Amino acid sequence: MLDRFGEAISVVLGALALAYLVYEIDRRKRKLRDLFHVLGSEDADISAELVDMVESGELQPYTRGAGA
Amino acid sequence: MPKSLSGSRSSRRLRARPGASPKRAAAPATEDSVRPDVRDEMMMSDAPTVLDEPPAPVSASGECASAAMVIELPARVRKGGRPQKYKPPAYPRFRIFIIDSGWNSVARRVLRHNFALIRRLRKEDLIYLLSRRKSVEFIDRHRSLIGRDPIIAVHDLEAIGTHGTTGFHGFHLHLGILRTPRQSLMALQTFARFVTTHRHSVNLEAKIRTGLRREGMLGAVEILLHSAPRALGG
Repeated sequence: MLDRFGEAISVVLGALALAYLVYEIDRRKRKLRDLFHVLGSEDADISAELVDMVESGELQPYTRGAGA
Repeated sequence: MPKSLSGSRSSRRLRARPGASPKRAAAPATEDSVRPDVRDEMMMSDAPTVLDEPPAPVSASGECASAAMVIELPARVRKGGRPQKYKPPAYPRFRIFIIDSGWNSVARRVLRHNFALIRRLRKEDLIYLLSRRKSVEFIDRHRSLIGRDPIIAVHDLEAIGTHGTTGFHGFHLHLGILRTPRQSLMALQTFARFVTTHRHSVNLEAKIRTGLRREGMLGAVEILLHSAPRALGG
């Protein structure tokens, strides 16, 4: 009886440890995805506006001592 | 008759900093922290030009032999004193935009302190620095970016030239979501290393997904084993 109880406890603890590991990796991956955001079609309007600002001459490349 | 406060203040400031150039005094505060190298050059130019020799032995006639030994070094020629004409890079792969609306965040301070170094490392690419006003207006039009700035937006010119902005065309580094100076510095260093090493990459998107975002099983192992992605992941 005690053996089975001990086994059940260790299985539950192992599952909890594994779940925490998976959760932690997923959390860190989400943070990295948010930090390094890949630009795709959903960001087209954001990028297109920056491209327009460059092409219209509103933004100039940064040189020493000159900002936008 | 009481003296004008503004007049006395300005004259006192002039006396306190006799060597300061009027152009620099008039420069906006943002330039001061953005360009620490210029400040270093200015400080270096104030170095003495006469080398102090140790006292020489007095000769039998009583004359000090060191009188003729004073070596005068040539005045330091300041490099870059005259602004050189800007030459755009011949084959830029990336356009890098820096968007910063001015939240008082640690990431902003880290970015400002290291901007000159990033600029030097990324000479081959075009860097566009949006002013605070333009950044605020831009973020106001794209509200999903609120709280994520300072943002370093990297546009892959090859991808944009091929299919415009409809597919993959670069990435954003959202520095504003980081909370500690160490995280911000590591993210900046990771960004600089990545952009430098993958400048000629054919499949940049795959490199970003595996190299920066640690996607897939290998990425999970790296998150667990390596300190940099672990620290960046919070």
